[in-house]
Parts: sequence; structure tokens; C-alpha cells
Amino acid sequence: MSNVPEKKKPETENRSGMHKSKRKEGMVENPTILGMTADVLIIVFLVVVMFCSIIPLWHVLMASLSDGKSLLANKGLLWLPAGNATLEGYRLTFLDSSILKGYMNTIIYVVGSTVFGMVICTLGGYVLSRDFRLRKQFTLMITFTLLFGGGLIPSYMVNRAIGLVNTRWSLILPGATGAYFVVMMMNAFRTVPESLVEASRIDGAGHVRTMLQVMLPQCKGISAVVILNSIVVQWNSWLPASIYVPNKRELWPLQLWIRQLTADNASLLQSANPDYNRFLIQYVVIIVSTLPIILAMPFFQKYLEEGAIAGGVKG
Amino acid sequence: MSTVTRTKKKKKEVEYNKLPWKKEIRHNGTLYILFIPVAVYFILFNYLPMFGIVMAFQDFKVSKGFLHSAWVGLENFRVLFRGTTFGLVMRNTVAMALLNLTFGFICPILLALILSEVKMPRFRRIASVVSYIPFFIAAVVVATLAQEFLAREGAITSILSWLGLPKQNWLANSNIPVFWIINMCIGIWTGAGYGSKVYVASISTVSGDIHEAAAIDGAGRLRRMISITLPCITPMIVMMFTLRIGMVFVTGFDKILLLYIPITYDTADVLTTYTYRMAFGATANYGLSAASGLFQSVVGTVLLLVSNWLSKKVTNSSLF
Repeated sequence: MSNVPEKKKPETENRSGMHKSKRKEGMVENPTILGMTADVLIIVFLVVVMFCSIIPLWHVLMASLSDGKSLLANKGLLWLPAGNATLEGYRLTFLDSSILKGYMNTIIYVVGSTVFGMVICTLGGYVLSRDFRLRKQFTLMITFTLLFGGGLIPSYMVNRAIGLVNTRWSLILPGATGAYFVVMMMNAFRTVPESLVEASRIDGAGHVRTMLQVMLPQCKGISAVVILNSIVVQWNSWLPASIYVPNKRELWPLQLWIRQLTADNASLLQSANPDYNRFLIQYVVIIVSTLPIILAMPFFQKYLEEGAIAGGVKG
Repeated sequence: MSTVTRTKKKKKEVEYNKLPWKKEIRHNGTLYILFIPVAVYFILFNYLPMFGIVMAFQDFKVSKGFLHSAWVGLENFRVLFRGTTFGLVMRNTVAMALLNLTFGFICPILLALILSEVKMPRFRRIASVVSYIPFFIAAVVVATLAQEFLAREGAITSILSWLGLPKQNWLANSNIPVFWIINMCIGIWTGAGYGSKVYVASISTVSGDIHEAAAIDGAGRLRRMISITLPCITPMIVMMFTLRIGMVFVTGFDKILLLYIPITYDTADVLTTYTYRMAFGATANYGLSAASGLFQSVVGTVLLLVSNWLSKKVTNSSLF
């Protein structure tokens, strides 16, 4: 027992030593002009990449703080707010009840489809990870949908036939989850040691209880991946809404409002006496819809990365 | 102890597979009940639409439904393949798919290689997180930004005009590679940071020993990158490539839908947007749309199977 940590320690030391030596090696090897230019070039390149990644958002943020009239006169990139910085755009946006409603709708759709999707994934993943007579058939039933789908129009017609079109359900149910995530949960459940499951069964826990109280807590990582994926996708989704609730503005999510505002503003520009503040609202809505997800990113980035990697490595 | 449970488990597995239905239901009935919602979900939203494909062989009328619309055999396909648009659509689809599979695919790898060459860990971390941000920006917002920056007075247009290109609304330019390149650049902007994650993770597993040994033997950094890092991540590259082939028709479709305008239909229209327009556009033709959707599904499935087979051959891992 005591051997293990003792054995590990020198190893880790060795490793860090090796890293150091690798780093040093690099340094020793590199006082050449070529090596140094390479380093500088790499840093310059990455700074450019970072610049390109965030400057469009910076532009929108500055535009949202601008004065409407100067914003319209402004050409090109904004480094600072055009005209005098003002929160007028934000005031107008929060007075606009349709946009607030859009925000509410987005939250409803995100929460609804994430919860529903998670229920399906957990149930499906759990059942398929158990051993029973029709397991193979059920698994095939799920995985076949990875391979082939009916497509946009037949899906629309089916949803129309079951009465989902023009209701909130059309944006919550159909896109809530997919075979990919069920399989992901199934793989996660399979890694839970069988002894743990057996112990809970012996203690008298049924399937439901075993699933929720014993197995699910063991699969927190993958569950988080599934949930966060769903949140990001649903938050940014607009296509299903444009198909299923095109004329019901009170059901529109925020993204559809952004699209509408952009289109409106393009035609507004043609008019003789445009309302400058309409332009502000477009930028403010982009900021209030994008910022939450970007600010939350550092917290869940780890899981999304894990998901990207699990998606790639899954055998 | 553990061996005992293991044999027990094995025994049980055999037993379960042989259980008569009565016993199976008594033992595992709950499992079947738990699976009901999942089955209903997949039948409703995945299997019923598959049967909806019959639309492609009908002169579909919404009022008549699947059951009462007139059958027209392959008429829809004949119209689809004979139409002048189809040639253009296929050309655009293939061109944009190829651009995505080449430049769009190489960029994340290059970014990962460059990131791994940075010697300051904190700077590397920041660079990787920041380059990851565009992935979270919604398609609608990306499209809005593109429209603004590529407009006649937009920021990107003015940069391009310094390079001697005429000032214009680039999104309204219907010359051949313009929209394709815009689409590719948007794809790279949104996806490169995210795509590089997998490679960065893969590169980090390359042992430092090999690098050290090579360095002692006099290999420079570029040499080591080409001869050590790249071969080490090749399996990952191959796998991501095959995955990408399988999805090449689907990715980026909603951005095209947001960005193309009637002027650029000839160069921007792809299979998915064509299907969409035939269904929800002004000149809706459901049968034709279902036919082009089915064509796209079949090609997509074939691509997925081929790429899956390739992946199995080359890297020994596969999706199915």
C-alpha cells in the first residue's frame, strides 16, 4: 500500500523534470534568429486570430452603446461608441414588450427541450445499458436513426398532422434530443460498475430508483455534456421556429426577432426619415442574446470540450 | 468475491437471453415500460417522417394528406433532375463541400499545431479560449454581422478595397467563387477554434520523450512538428475527416439560408436550401421538395456509410 505513493512520487518528479528539460532544450536550441522570429510570428498570428474572433462582438457592443444618429452616419468598424455613449438603446429594448417576450420564449424552449431531452436520454440510455431480451432490437431502433432520416418536409408534415405546428410544443419536442445523445448516455451508463447496480438491486431498489439514485450520479460528466449541448443549440436555434411558428409572433424566440429586426432595418434605410433608434435595438438584442452564453462559457467550456472529444473518440 | 459475482453475472446474461416471455416480463417488465416514452419519441419524430417519404412519389396536397394524394411515380424526380436549377445546385453543393473539406478542415489542425508551439502556457490558454468564442455565436447573429461587414461601406469591404478590389456589397456579388469563399470563411471563423480542441487534446498526449530525443538528434521545431506531432495525430485527423465527409451536406446550411438573396441563388443555392425553398418558399412544391430531400438523405447516408467504412479500415474506430 505505502509503496504506491512512494513509487509515484519520483515518477512525477521525473516527469516535471523532463518537461523542464524539454523546455530548456527548446530554449537552448533556439537563440537562433530563425527560432526567435518563429516565436514572434506565432504570437503575432495568434493575436490576429484572437482579434478576428472578438472584434465583431466588440463592434456590436460599441454600436449598442452608441447614439442612433451618429451610428447611422458611421462607416466601418467601431472602436468606441459612435457619438456620445448612451444606454438609450437598452432602455428602448427593455420597453419593447415583444422582445422581452422573445427572451421569455427562448428561455421556455431552452428549459423545456433540455429537460425533456434529458428525460429521454436518461431513460433510453439506462434501458439500453441493461441486459434484456429485446436489447439488440431496441438499440438498432435508436441507432438506425443516426443513419437515415425522413428529412425536412416529411417531418414538417408529420408534426402538422399531430397538431404541433403553431404551438410551443413544435419547438420543444421534435428537436429535444437525438440518437447520438441517447447512445452517449448508454455508453456512460455501461461504464458504471455492475457490482454497484447489483448492490442497489439487492438492497431492494427497483429500476427507476437504481437509474436515478445510483447510476445517474455516476454519469455526471456525460450528463453535463448532453445538457450543455442542448442549451447552446436551443439558445441559438432559429430554423425550427421559422418553419413551425412563422406567423405567430408571440411564440417567436429571440433569434427570430434578431432576424426580423435586421430585415426591417434594411428596408428602413430606404425610407426618407428613418427612426434611428430602431437600429440601436438590433445591436442591443444581439448583445443581450449573445452575452449570457459567452459569459457562461468559461464555466461549462470544460464539459463542451469533453463532449467534442468524446464525440471524436467514441469507438 | 469478485470472481463469484462475475460468474453469477455471466450466468444471468445467458439466462436472460433465454428467458421465456412470461418470465422476461416479470423480471424486466419495468425496463419495457421505461422504454415506452423513448420508443414513442423516436417513432413519432424519426420513423413516421421516414414513411412520409412517400410524398416524394406523390403529387402531394396538404388538404389530401399522405393517404389521398395522387401517386405520380418518379415524376417528381424527373422534374428535379431535368430542371436547370438542379445542375447549378449540385455544382454549388459540391464546390462548397469541397472547400469545407479542404480549407475548412485544415484550419483547425493548423491552429492546433500553432497553439501547441506557444511556450507561454497562459497565453496559449487565453488564445485557445478566445478563438473558441465564435462557435457560441448564433447563426442569425453571424449572418447579421456578415451582412454588415460585407456591405458596400462595411469593414471587410474597406479592407478589401485597400487591396484593390472594387467597393461593393459582396453578398450581392453573383460571380462564381465569391459566395463560396464567403461561406468558407464564415465556416472557418465559427468552427476553427472549436475544431482545434480535439487536435490540441490529441497533441498533448504525444510523449515529451520523443521530442527530446529528436531534439538531441538535431531536429528543429518545424522538423519535429512535421515528423513527430503530425504522425502522432494522424489517426485523429483521419477520423475527424471521415466524420466530416458524412456530415458535409448538412453543416452550415442555415447560414446559407440566412445569407443568400435572389441575386445570388445561382451560386449560393445548395441541396438543403433548395429543398427548403421548394417547401416553404413562395413557389412551394411539396412533392418536388420531398424528392430533393430524399435524394439528399440517400446521398448523405451513402457518404456516411462510406466514410464509416473508411474510418474502420484506417483507424479501427467507427461511429457504428
